[in-house]
Amino acid sequence: MSRPDLSVNLGQLRLPNPIMVASGTFGYGLEYERLVDLNQLGALVVRSLTLRPQVGNAPLRLAETPAGMLNAIGLQNEGVEAFILETLPRLRAYSVPLIVSIAGESPEEYAQVAERLQRTSGLAGLELNLACPSPSHRAFDTAPQLTAEVVRAVRQTTDLPLFAKLSANGGDLVPIAQSAVEAGADGLTLIHSVAGLAVNPHTRRFRLASRVGHLTGPAIKPIALCAVWQVRQALPEVPLIGVGGITSLDDVLEFLLVGATAVQVGTGNYLCATLSTDLVGALTDYLTQNEIGTVRELVGAVRDVM
Amino acid sequence: MASWELQAVVVEHRQRAPNQYELILHAPPIAQTAQPGQYVLVRPMETLAPLWRRPYSILRANPDKGVISIFYSVQSQFTELLSLKPLGSQMSVLGPLGHGFQREQGVQRHILVAGGFGAPPLSFFASRLVSALSPDEQILILAGARRRDLLVGLDEFRALGAEVRIATEDGSQGYAGRVTDLLSEALCEPLPSAVYACGPNRMLQMVCEICLVGRVPCQVSVETPMPCGVGACLGCAVKVRAPNGAIWYKRACTDGPVFRAEEVDWE
Ligand SMILES: Cc1cc2nc3c(=O)[nH]c(=O)nc-3n(C[C@H](O)[C@H](O)[C@H](O)COP(=O)(O)O)c2cc1C
Ligand code: FES
Repeated sequence: MSRPDLSVNLGQLRLPNPIMVASGTFGYGLEYERLVDLNQLGALVVRSLTLRPQVGNAPLRLAETPAGMLNAIGLQNEGVEAFILETLPRLRAYSVPLIVSIAGESPEEYAQVAERLQRTSGLAGLELNLACPSPSHRAFDTAPQLTAEVVRAVRQTTDLPLFAKLSANGGDLVPIAQSAVEAGADGLTLIHSVAGLAVNPHTRRFRLASRVGHLTGPAIKPIALCAVWQVRQALPEVPLIGVGGITSLDDVLEFLLVGATAVQVGTGNYLCATLSTDLVGALTDYLTQNEIGTVRELVGAVRDVM
Repeated sequence: MASWELQAVVVEHRQRAPNQYELILHAPPIAQTAQPGQYVLVRPMETLAPLWRRPYSILRANPDKGVISIFYSVQSQFTELLSLKPLGSQMSVLGPLGHGFQREQGVQRHILVAGGFGAPPLSFFASRLVSALSPDEQILILAGARRRDLLVGLDEFRALGAEVRIATEDGSQGYAGRVTDLLSEALCEPLPSAVYACGPNRMLQMVCEICLVGRVPCQVSVETPMPCGVGACLGCAVKVRAPNGAIWYKRACTDGPVFRAEEVDWE
């Protein structure tokens, strides 16, 4: 049998394969360049950038929890300007599709970052990290109106493929997903994380300096799968990127089957640095062995119990 | 600086004391490049809980035999899984990682302050230091722990011919009190000294304060969670202070784990 076709389309964005790395978990990509063949990835999503550099939260920023972890990094990043001047030129040495994640405190700030990125070359798309507090302190991705304001503002500044990344902390995800698409998102990344907290009972202290953090890793996989499935039912034409708890080929297949066109590996990178590229190989072997011509056949192909 | 992610082979679990083990791993590229104060991330299991790899300071590296060793004591689910790894089995190791201890120049005495399980990287450092020592230089080990059974690696330090002074908080061995008392005392002796420390953060903070006041060059190896080890996740933040007072965060995994005393802001 000939080599299976791993390429996927997220709207007009074509990726060589569906395995991406998730924003913030893989730095700017360059941190891993000696360990991971970046060009084997379907796409590389860099950590969320803000208009100005951010120093981030005080330690402790991390806690391990059963089959997961809490993080509260506080968006530490070099800012969009330094990224464009210092980091992007080094990333251009790679052929991997580059997606830049944007964070902000207001719709205008997201739009300013997007506008700055629109004027550079070499980007495959933008992802909006909407799990950031809005001026009303609620995260943008917890209400349709807040989500729409950011997506609309960014859409006006750029014609790059645009993905809205949502958590599952705002109750019913479908109306939020719908508003993101109506406001101009080309696709959705589901999910960012789940709000979580941990306490050290012996010291009676919060484990994180910020008290509440983002729960990620295998513990959130069923929640992420459910989000992808529900949004797929409501918006069958919208390209979805599944993320949350992927550590194996089976996890990738689960996300594809419930309707994700591509997936992102986050916390899994910390179990094995080459997990994402290993998964590209494993997926290729799986398709070959099962005589499946294209990975696109798997998308949404889940069947009922009987 | 190169690092490798590889399947290391378990060569031996060598018991050093009750519930203290040296795990010897065959990992040639790591053994050939490891420097004192550097660490490896190890994952002895395929489980999702525990999930993370853990950082272990390198206790020794033998480039000729291609082996490294790390020190562990069984006190969690993770260390239990580590202890159960059969001889000849493989486990994922990423390393060597981070910036280690740098030998200070122009001093006559290198004082190594080891708090409990902080001894391993200092043991490695001492062994490399010994072979590079000039006749007018000496090594002084200050080893402290809460109780005598929590002291680590004393025999190795002695085998190097270094002077070893001991403190236990309960007085069960050596001076009854804190190892930092021994440090203050040692720094009163009129010998130009440099200090290198590894242990609990509380201890490191006191070591830094003592050395800053006494204007003694000092390096400390800090401990934080380190899931990625390569500077990507920014979870291992250490608060640092520039000479102009500016505050920001460095990464323990790549900028450290060894930092200069004047850099770290302990608050
Ligand atoms: C340390 C860490 C930092 C993260 N930083 C970001 C970020 O900057 N922007 C973002 O959109 N998501 C960020 N995330 C969320 C991940 O991109 C991903 O959505 C989440 O980890 C769930 O996937 P996983 O279970 O595979 O880790 C971060 C996650 C972790 C663990
Ligand atoms: S452990 Fe990930 S940045 Fe240091």
